[in-house]
Amino acid sequence: MAVNESGQRFHHAVYEKFEAVANFPGLDLLFTTADKVLTWGSQNSLWAFPMATSCCGIEFMATAASRFDTERIGTFTRGTPRQCDVMVVAGTITVKMAPRVRKLWDMMPEPKWCIAMGSCAISGDFYRDIYSVVPGVDTFIPVDVYVPGCPPNPDALLLGFKRLQEKIQARREGRWVEPDKRPIDGMRVPSIPRIGAPDRLPVFDQAQLHNVLHMDPDGRMLRPDAPPMPRPPEEDPE
Amino acid sequence: MSALPDDVRAIFERFELDLPEDPPDLLVEEGPLVPRDKLLGLARALKLEAHCLFFVYCAAAHYPPGPASRIPGMGEGELPDGTLVAYRVRRLAGGRPVDVPFRVWVPTGETTPSLVPVWVGADWQEREQYDLVGTVFEGHPDLRRIMLPEDWEGHPLRKDYAIDTPHFPWR
Amino acid sequence: MPLPVPRPFQRPARGATRHVEVGGVRVPYELVVDPWPDPYLDLDAYDPDADLMPINWGPQHPSTHGVLRVKLFMDGEVCVKAVPYLGYLHRGVEKLCEKLSYAQVTPIVDKNDYVSPMMNELAINMAFEKLLGVEPPPRAQVIRTIFAEMQRVASHLLWLGTWAMDAGGALGGGATLFMYCFREREMILDLFEEVTGARFHYNTHTVGGNRHDLPGGWEEKAIRVLDHIESRLPEYEDFLRDNDIFLVRTRGVGRLDPLLAMEIGVSGPSLRASGVDHDRRRDAPYAAYDRVEVKVPVRDAGDALARYEVRMDEMRESIRIARELLQDVPAGPITALKPVKMPKAIKVATGRSAYVGIESPRGELGTFVIAQNERKTAHLPYRLKIRPPSFHAMALLPYLAPGATLSDIVVIAGSLDPILGEVDR
Repeated sequence: MAVNESGQRFHHAVYEKFEAVANFPGLDLLFTTADKVLTWGSQNSLWAFPMATSCCGIEFMATAASRFDTERIGTFTRGTPRQCDVMVVAGTITVKMAPRVRKLWDMMPEPKWCIAMGSCAISGDFYRDIYSVVPGVDTFIPVDVYVPGCPPNPDALLLGFKRLQEKIQARREGRWVEPDKRPIDGMRVPSIPRIGAPDRLPVFDQAQLHNVLHMDPDGRMLRPDAPPMPRPPEEDPE
Repeated sequence: MSALPDDVRAIFERFELDLPEDPPDLLVEEGPLVPRDKLLGLARALKLEAHCLFFVYCAAAHYPPGPASRIPGMGEGELPDGTLVAYRVRRLAGGRPVDVPFRVWVPTGETTPSLVPVWVGADWQEREQYDLVGTVFEGHPDLRRIMLPEDWEGHPLRKDYAIDTPHFPWR
Repeated sequence: MPLPVPRPFQRPARGATRHVEVGGVRVPYELVVDPWPDPYLDLDAYDPDADLMPINWGPQHPSTHGVLRVKLFMDGEVCVKAVPYLGYLHRGVEKLCEKLSYAQVTPIVDKNDYVSPMMNELAINMAFEKLLGVEPPPRAQVIRTIFAEMQRVASHLLWLGTWAMDAGGALGGGATLFMYCFREREMILDLFEEVTGARFHYNTHTVGGNRHDLPGGWEEKAIRVLDHIESRLPEYEDFLRDNDIFLVRTRGVGRLDPLLAMEIGVSGPSLRASGVDHDRRRDAPYAAYDRVEVKVPVRDAGDALARYEVRMDEMRESIRIARELLQDVPAGPITALKPVKMPKAIKVATGRSAYVGIESPRGELGTFVIAQNERKTAHLPYRLKIRPPSFHAMALLPYLAPGATLSDIVVIAGSLDPILGEVDR
């Protein structure tokens, strides 16, 4: 028996074979051992995709260059999303760039992680209130590690990679607990709730995905023949 | 404006422009206010006769309705909503460069001639000012938005544009 | 329909002189092109049988030096038309600066040209000083000049490393020179970190002077570092100047007409590589440039190789200027105003405007500022316009790309040294 997307249980002949294989004695030991080896391998060879838009990109380059050298911890920089495990969002993300970031994130194969480097990628920093800046990259892609700073020093970014390795290991061992997404007291609430926040409406995910799927290659946001974008419900004036 | 050489001053006088006199304690340079119908003629004269080949910048500033005394050299009275476009061109000949600034007042809803026929460098500059401030340059070959997406509403550097305007669904 | 651009200058007879005088400016004759490529080429009228292929380059590509996007229409391997799209990093800095007081603007503009933040601070504070009528003391002027020249070396080193990487694996593994350049750049960043506490985004210039004084023994240390970098420069030239592949990829690529460059407003090394002898440091001296002799390297070839040579010579020249100033830094205060405690302390209510242009590593970085006319909001600038050199250099791309192959366009765009942070602001 299996469960489909709407929660209904259904039956298919192939699942009997799956269950027979899964119940074979000794296989679980083999799979967990293989999983352990794969996790060890992936956490020690995190290939980074630099989503470098501005100043933090220069510090990312300095981290990859001679003095700091990320390759010591197995992190290698590749210019293509299809071969990478970690997206390092380094720099301010604007509303014109955000659909591209989301599209590149969707291109990356699972398992994938995201590091928000610098205060612009974390919260928008002092550009947070500007009309064209997205207040934090975690309003549209899930972020695993935040590296604060403006820009963070290269050693801070190296520490971010080490923290990500610890997180991958902890998640495999079942030690990882998703932290509470509640913002710090006194910090202003972003105009869009973060991914995973309880007050986030599903219409935001739909609209951001809609924006990516119906993007015009000619520089406009949406194609002229795109269907209407799902909008958040209007607030009752009373 | 004492730094202006005589030939540039002669061109300004030929176009009957008032040169605002600076107080001696201020090291501020501003150009004359040029009527819009004389702009292209002045630009051609500056390029061909005064050899101002180098286009430095074109910057527009939005002024909401109010007294004209906010703008130096504008005189007295009330002004409607509009933008002040400041240009600066440079002559590189003869070692020491000479900067020639001039300004144009454009009421909202009206257009000003584009300087692209004279300096091709005005192309992107005017597009940027149109995008951010909303000044319409007549005769520009390709006047569309350059910084913001093409479906954007409003011009952000206008004084009546809120800095934290939301843009669904990204912010 | 594109407007016809009037061409007032008659092209001289071929072979008459190597240089021609146009509008009082002496330019190399071989570079003058007529007509310039049409940036608004009608593709339907180009060739109905041509199978044009549009290629999107960017906005996220390792060799665009940022988030530039160019739509290239290729006829086979040759580009026919290039349409750049900007604004992927438009952060509304000019709007933000209208909401901040004069004392608060400096750390914001640091982030515009993020490869040489010292230049941004210098340009904006000089404009404010011009508006206020404040003259910084001599010690501050000399420190500013030293910082500017060392920043120029660091910026050119970063450009050299990334551009050599763009020019590809042809240089024996591409990333080698990148590693070498960053090794030297880190030394300069260490020196700045010792003064200001930050690797970049220093926030060290204020209206009327500097915020941080030089620590004891910094001058000797800086001279040692500059000597070391100067001794390393021949090593880089051995890498590139003696490499046949590098010469083939850069010589004659992206030849820039000096008249076009002047009309578009391109300045700095790109303009000087096309034979126009114009440098703000020498022609309109600011800060402490009147204390030293500034030699301006000029090349007549106008191609990517000439731009590389100008930048290499500029590095040597900057090291010489900085060393000369470091040997004799005048004593005295480092700021002309009292240290600003309140952000609203600096007020201008004249309604006047000021423009200051300085020579940044990429060209003329200018700041045009209009002051408020009302006393109530006199601590805020009314309008602040930054004239970024990279914006003008990017406006050149639709003229340089047609006729070049796709691999050449990467070299051409890299040789113009664009920083998208200041293009989009």
